Amino acid sequence: MAMMDETSGPAAGVLTRRRFIERLGLVGGTTMILAGMEALGFGIGSAHAAPPVLTGSGNGKSIVVLGAGLAGMTAAYELTKSGYKVTVLEARSFAGGRCQSARAGVTITELGGQAQTCNFDDGLYINHGPWRIPYHHRSTLHYTKTFRVPLELFVNDNDNSYVYFEKGTGPLAGKPIRKGQIAADARGNAAELLAKVVNKGGLDLPMTQEDRDLFVAYLVNEGYLSPKDLAYSGAEGRGYEIHPGAGVDPGPGKLTTPYSMTDVLHSKTWSVLTSVAGYEQQRTMFQPVGGMDRIAKAFEKQVGHLIRYSSVVQKIKQSDAGVEVAYTDSDGKPAVVKGDYCICTIPLSVLKSIDMNVSAPFKEAMNNVAYAPVGKIGLQMKRRFWEEDHAIYGGHVHTDMRDIGSMSLPSTGFQSQKGVILGYYQFGNEAAKISAKTPAERAAHAVAAGQKIFPEYAENFETAFSVAWHRVAYNLGGWAEWKEDGRRDYYPTLCKPDGRIYLAGEHLSYMTGWQAGAIESAWQQIAHLHRRVMA
Amino acid sequence: MKSLILAGPMIASLISFSGAQAAPATGAALFAENCAACHQPKGEGIAGAFPALAKNAFVKGDPKVVAATILNGRGGMPSFRSDLSDAEIAAVLTFVRASWGNRAVPITPVVVASARSAKVAEGPRKIMQAH
Ligand SMILES: Cc1cc2nc3c(=O)[nH]c(=O)nc-3n(C[C@H](O)[C@H](O)[C@H](O)COP(=O)(O)OP(=O)(O)OC[C@H]3O[C@@H](n4cnc5c(N)ncnc54)[C@H](O)[C@@H]3O)c2cc1C
Repeated sequence: MAMMDETSGPAAGVLTRRRFIERLGLVGGTTMILAGMEALGFGIGSAHAAPPVLTGSGNGKSIVVLGAGLAGMTAAYELTKSGYKVTVLEARSFAGGRCQSARAGVTITELGGQAQTCNFDDGLYINHGPWRIPYHHRSTLHYTKTFRVPLELFVNDNDNSYVYFEKGTGPLAGKPIRKGQIAADARGNAAELLAKVVNKGGLDLPMTQEDRDLFVAYLVNEGYLSPKDLAYSGAEGRGYEIHPGAGVDPGPGKLTTPYSMTDVLHSKTWSVLTSVAGYEQQRTMFQPVGGMDRIAKAFEKQVGHLIRYSSVVQKIKQSDAGVEVAYTDSDGKPAVVKGDYCICTIPLSVLKSIDMNVSAPFKEAMNNVAYAPVGKIGLQMKRRFWEEDHAIYGGHVHTDMRDIGSMSLPSTGFQSQKGVILGYYQFGNEAAKISAKTPAERAAHAVAAGQKIFPEYAENFETAFSVAWHRVAYNLGGWAEWKEDGRRDYYPTLCKPDGRIYLAGEHLSYMTGWQAGAIESAWQQIAHLHRRVMA
Repeated sequence: MKSLILAGPMIASLISFSGAQAAPATGAALFAENCAACHQPKGEGIAGAFPALAKNAFVKGDPKVVAATILNGRGGMPSFRSDLSDAEIAAVLTFVRASWGNRAVPITPVVVASARSAKVAEGPRKIMQAH
């Protein structure tokens, strides 16, 4: 193509590249632009942006899908479109798997735990499972768009929220500090130090004088330094003690005084700062309006008629002729469903105890992945004191308090009366420990921690809903955690079918613990299955 | 209101606790706090989910292997390496090995310490990440 020539050679530069992209747009619309961007190295997304095109027809071949989580429902939806006959068995009385939200009436009884019923007011909810979507999870976003699930921004970073570290030392330890103030002072002070040294020629830099001057100019900008003496003495962005206003009082207001470098260093609060956001965690992300389970409900609208609910898989048997899945139905009676192939999305933590005739290496591989203990709690508050009294609208509270992980303030319902705070989000042994407590004790633990940061916490607390995913039947863990050797020695085995059985789910992706992992794993497996059927 | 003063955090800092030194916990208390959520209060476990520790041959086996399991985690079980001291791990293991029909020699902090310094064969676990 002629345009390829324009992008190579000595003249290739920003402008020609842009022209290339514009041309692609003319030819093939956005999809072409996206593909073209990827070719130019501007990759913006997960490996797949759209479901596989299953050309030809499944011709009525029957597929038994195990599990009606996002992986199972994705498989059911796409396969049905291509002429397959699909039956889905789901152990729970509802679809969605981990893609749940807790609102009034939702119940949960953990293994070995007390029954809980969510008592939140109408309209309030907590996403006790998945809660945020990165912009590059184009597979998840493909379905929110296709099914018209409205999204809103999820505040994943808020400079005005607090950092509360009690294990550090010095005057900032054990005090809620605005995150933006720590950021300003850590960076400002660091920039001052560096700028002064560089300015004096104190560093042996492989730079020309001009570059050095520009570097100092950059540091002045980065750290809000005074160009005169390169000193950092605070920044507007770290906030005002008295905000500027009308007239002469408050008039210009009064800036806050920065913390000293020593105090910031010893507080250890800088550990929440990084110069750029992470790959999976951006400063703003997405959430469905009304709760993450809106995604599950949207899928269910499409494939609900294919699902047999409260149907617990007991045994999976395959032969040259097909697959036979034994389960107990909603009345607790044994039943069997037969099919040509099986797509099994049951988490490995659960599947490894289910009787199935697969090869020994396949069995061994299923036993070699760990599932993360994870705990979350939603706390309904009478009044949005974090907004009204502290001017914090969404975002997290980062802390080093034991057995809390982090807390989070709702990114929805701003300025309404009540709200639900995520009181803790912990992993590993911290989650294991807190899960031993009764629901009431967990709430007390969370409220006591929150009270250290917000004096209004305890008096506004109304009701809680908590979950410890490692104790939830049909999941037994938040998500799969592959170790390096597991990825090398076992993961590839599970990505291939064993006879007529294909596994799918977040655990069979490099996006474990993300909905996109579940969806894209299903896409990949149905593409493999379809190729085999068409062969 | 004419200004937004940081009254909240100041009050909060006044009431924040100064971590009082607690007495060392017993093996039974450590078990209840760290293990019982999954292995259940009497070590009976939950079939298909969490192994029983009562009358469990692995639990009664080689002290070094048992200590390494608590330190490094196993299957769905998290690592307690950074959360429990050698003395605490020794206490909880000794308790488990002498309870619910188990009968095995106590495990000393020295054994735990040597298991701790041993190289982890499969490499350290990936740090837990938020999703
Ligand atoms: C606390 C938490 C936070 C998370 N945060 C995010 C986030 O912010 N963003 C994001 O994108 N993802 C997040 N995730 C991950 C996301 O929820 C999962 O990756 C995804 O929902 C998994 O889908 P799945 O279909 O693979 O598995 P599941 O949803 O677990 O589906 C498996 C299905 O199989 C069923 N099943 C199990 N056993 C049987 C049986 N014996 N018989 C019949 N059916 C059975 C289950 O009931 C379930 O419906 C989070 C997860 C957790 C736990």
